[in-house]
Amino acid sequence: MPPLNDAALTQIAAEMSRRDFARLLGASIALAGATGCVREPSDRVFPYIHTPAAGAGGELHYATAMTLDGYATGLLVRSVDGRPVKVEGNPSHPASRGASSALHQASLLQLYDPERAHQPLLRGRDITWDATVANFSLTRLRDGAGARGAGLLLLMDPTSSPLTVALLDRLQSALPDATVHFHHATENGSAVAASRAAFGAPLLPQPDFTQAVAVVALGDDPFAVGPWHLRQARDFGERRRAGHPVSLHVAETTPSSTSSLTPHRLAVAPALLANTALALLQTVASRLGSNTVQLAPVSLATDAAAWVDSAATALIAHRGHALVTAGPQQPESVHLVAMALNHLLDNLGTAIQYRASPIREAGAPSHDAATLRDALAGNGIRTVLITATNPAYTLPADVLLAQQLAKVQQSLYLGEYLDETARQTQHFAPRAHYLESWGVERAWDGTESPVQPLLTPMWGGHTVDELLASLLGDQRTGRGLLQALYPTATTDDALREGIVTGSTSPVLTPAFRWGALASLAPAPLPAAGQLTLIFPPGNGVHDGRFAGNAWLQELPDPITKLTWDNALLLAPATAARLAVASMDMVRVARDDQHIDVPVLITPGHADDAGSLALGYGRRGPGILENGIGVDTAPLRTEASPFQLAGVTLTRLNRQHPLALTQEHWSIEQRAGDILKGPPVPVPDSGLYRATPPGHDGFSADQWAMTIDLNLCTGCSACVVACQAENNIPVVGKRGVMNSREMHWIRLGRYLDADPATGGVVSQPMLCQHCENAPCEYVCPVNATVHSDDGLNEMVYNRCVGTRFCSNNCPYKVRRFNWLDYHGEMTPVDELINNPDVTVRARGVMEKCTFCVQRIRGAQERSQLAGDATTGPVVTACQQACPTGAIIFGSLTNPADAVVDSFADPRGFAALAKLNTRPRVHYLARDAAS
Amino acid sequence: MPALFRPTATPRARRALIGAVVVALLVPVALMAWVRTPWARGIHVVVQQPVPFSHPLHAGTLRIDCRFCHSEVEWSAHAGMPPTDRCVTCHTPAWQSTAALAPVRASLVSSAPIPWRRVTQLPQFVYFNHAMHVRNGVGCETCHGNVTRMQTVHQVAPLTMTWCVTCHRNPEPSLRPQAEITATGWSPLTLSAAARRTMLAEYNVHHYTNCSTCHR
Repeated sequence: MPPLNDAALTQIAAEMSRRDFARLLGASIALAGATGCVREPSDRVFPYIHTPAAGAGGELHYATAMTLDGYATGLLVRSVDGRPVKVEGNPSHPASRGASSALHQASLLQLYDPERAHQPLLRGRDITWDATVANFSLTRLRDGAGARGAGLLLLMDPTSSPLTVALLDRLQSALPDATVHFHHATENGSAVAASRAAFGAPLLPQPDFTQAVAVVALGDDPFAVGPWHLRQARDFGERRRAGHPVSLHVAETTPSSTSSLTPHRLAVAPALLANTALALLQTVASRLGSNTVQLAPVSLATDAAAWVDSAATALIAHRGHALVTAGPQQPESVHLVAMALNHLLDNLGTAIQYRASPIREAGAPSHDAATLRDALAGNGIRTVLITATNPAYTLPADVLLAQQLAKVQQSLYLGEYLDETARQTQHFAPRAHYLESWGVERAWDGTESPVQPLLTPMWGGHTVDELLASLLGDQRTGRGLLQALYPTATTDDALREGIVTGSTSPVLTPAFRWGALASLAPAPLPAAGQLTLIFPPGNGVHDGRFAGNAWLQELPDPITKLTWDNALLLAPATAARLAVASMDMVRVARDDQHIDVPVLITPGHADDAGSLALGYGRRGPGILENGIGVDTAPLRTEASPFQLAGVTLTRLNRQHPLALTQEHWSIEQRAGDILKGPPVPVPDSGLYRATPPGHDGFSADQWAMTIDLNLCTGCSACVVACQAENNIPVVGKRGVMNSREMHWIRLGRYLDADPATGGVVSQPMLCQHCENAPCEYVCPVNATVHSDDGLNEMVYNRCVGTRFCSNNCPYKVRRFNWLDYHGEMTPVDELINNPDVTVRARGVMEKCTFCVQRIRGAQERSQLAGDATTGPVVTACQQACPTGAIIFGSLTNPADAVVDSFADPRGFAALAKLNTRPRVHYLARDAAS
Repeated sequence: MPALFRPTATPRARRALIGAVVVALLVPVALMAWVRTPWARGIHVVVQQPVPFSHPLHAGTLRIDCRFCHSEVEWSAHAGMPPTDRCVTCHTPAWQSTAALAPVRASLVSSAPIPWRRVTQLPQFVYFNHAMHVRNGVGCETCHGNVTRMQTVHQVAPLTMTWCVTCHRNPEPSLRPQAEITATGWSPLTLSAAARRTMLAEYNVHHYTNCSTCHR
């Protein structure tokens, strides 16, 4: 999705001589004058043909669900004049509770992506959908793959959908010998494997952060990663806001959002992490006097031993309300330790519950990449159907999918893009986006969540369910299939609420098989000087499926602040030992495989380890993902897809520039004042007059915001939510390197003075709506002025682009449109724009407006309804924030939470000594948290 | 050697210099004056519509209320254009075969909307809410003129910011009671000053002159 195309700009620059440029400049100036004299033709107005049942005009919200890795998250999508323009969390849905992540927000951009596939293809030639599915009818499949389907391989994403499962059952009863395989690109099934060992069944742990007093996360990021993270962050935020104590202990390799909330953080290499977990289990068991755990002693370094001691003390002190979690990419042993600890500490039923996994065949061999490799390597497979998201890219290289696909007689890929996988199959059919689909999916806790479309497929795409039904000769659409699954009344209720009532999986109380712990033994440590690499999912791009999404590519990583790239993250000590610096290219080699990557030194990273994000180095259909970052596939193996021990690093004599945003918008020597400190009394003499500009009393409201730094994990959902709500453009890697990123929220990441601790505080910095706003004094054309309800307003049509305001802003929150970022939008691209917000042109300054369109909209609705006070106003960032760190409201309305939070003793105004009197207050981090 | 300049050269040069200054001053003034003229504002420009719809017939002679067709005006930002099936409500079977209704029939048959042309067009950076005005006492006629006298509807107001802000600063002279909100040929000046003040208080109308009232 390219509002700005670096390649095209370079081409224009190369082809145009100085003289041509001057000539064009002259002509443009002359013509610019002429356009003012011509009246533009009037707009066309298209009414409906038939009056719609929901009433004409206005806006509607639909409940639907987005599925990632097989688990649904319920969403509410705002639709204006028949086009979806904003995604929000569904407050009724257990996996969302009204929160949404950056991925959910940005999924809207995929819907309007002009690079989505438009056309079914057979060996590159256009073909119809009907002809495609006719080639894969049951009869044809039996001809090609044997009467019982032994030669058929179906490769899918993990699925929890009751509808897909029912169709798979029908397919497997028609073709009983067919192989159905599920591929998970960012997990290796270790959690389910541990659950099978510990409980004899594939169960999923369900942490309840409203109850957890002491939390230990083992290589886990429970507030920013995973299908249940929004709920976990919500619950945690609720508990902390209510003033209940939570102690967090995190042991991890790569610094994460969750660990930024706690001083009890341990950075350890992957092998040591497993040993630390073992030591924690031993310590807790011996202190509790339990003789069920018999393990060989583990020796630890001093810092790890101290962390284990502190974590064990906290866990035992809050026995019954403690919680131990393990990250999805951790080995089976760490998951076993977490499960054993939760049982030892009697946490079941309070801080943790177990439910059956909603995923079909969870933990079975059909989820194991080795099974897939063996099935493909055998000569039995003649027909391959792929509905998994781009497995040719996400599978480790040694599965050899592409090579095997070349050998089969027939292959079909149902995908949203003409990506790496589409190039390997004979048939291709476009897949519908989830906002174009009918279906039903299950959340992490099993809740069935209907998926309903907001528009008919823009490019004629179909869903996986529709494909499976077509293979079976069932011509019903997704809607027909869904209606057949539920009674009509259930369907109507479920579509309105976004959940099927009563469908949540029952809570189980499994008995722990202590014998399972017998397999636990300390992991052998890698030889000195050898690195262990881990491959976490990329921030934003996930497993690569969002690599073509410009909003997510330009979203700075919460910790490293890296955009438009992945890089090998190394601890400062490791980098010093290897004599490499940030942006140096290094060759990472193991056996005969190697890749070349840039280094990024990351304070707080574990020593003797490196992290390299998945999802980059795509060779996709679009200009966006190509050439961005490095593909990890050559190094990864099916046996150990997310961890690689014993790699060697060689420094190459070249550099790769990385677009990092933390040093942008520097506020010089004021960083100490901007972040924390006691509340500063308003000084008598400031830069600006002591009393705010007179409020003439017309307005009943005075808008203000509080941001609780105790709750901000830096997850960046607010940044993308703001981008979606306010039509904020992307600027591309080169733009970011020129400090021209346009995000209205800058998520400042501040590190502890001691880089070894890796202590991080994230602070969202946005327009502070100062009562004595420095920007307003210097604007020569009154383009930025104060409203009587306390907003610092930006009038785009008055702005002439002097940039004086940005220069005079002590918070550096104003963004300038250096180029016509919206100028290249096609009519399809334009559909994503929020109609309530002006699309800014080149040469105009912009900044956070406190979502003034939502404020004025609420005021209009209240007035039309005859209410005396303005209804609740929720800003886009506040609505998305998973932990509820952002509070917004009117200082004159005692019912608004912002009034209390302004009186909080932790509250402070950034750079208060300047006497700008900001309307944004921050609540400082507790030293204890 | 003959004289390089004739005797008239000096006064000519003087006149040219003065003329240049005058032109340099007059051009911006003239341009600023021009944009305020009805011609530049597009007032009285005839906009050809796909259907020769007559407001004098429907709103005038037949006395159909504006809100019958522009039905969203009281609760939405947009006044709303009638769906094709609303035309057909009355035009079946009467007048069904007239040539004037051909585009309406075509729209119904082909399920393609009738492409009306906007007459009163605000710039894209201006957010106007019909409901807020109509429900708070600003009548249709105040901005759109008396459409019962326009065979083809044209713009009557200059739609300059001055024009908007004049009323936003002092709304009292433009307010009407709800009973007269869609009336044509009715002037608020027929009310007494006291009655207008009462109405202002009842509507609880404020002076909305924040920039973000219209620019967002």
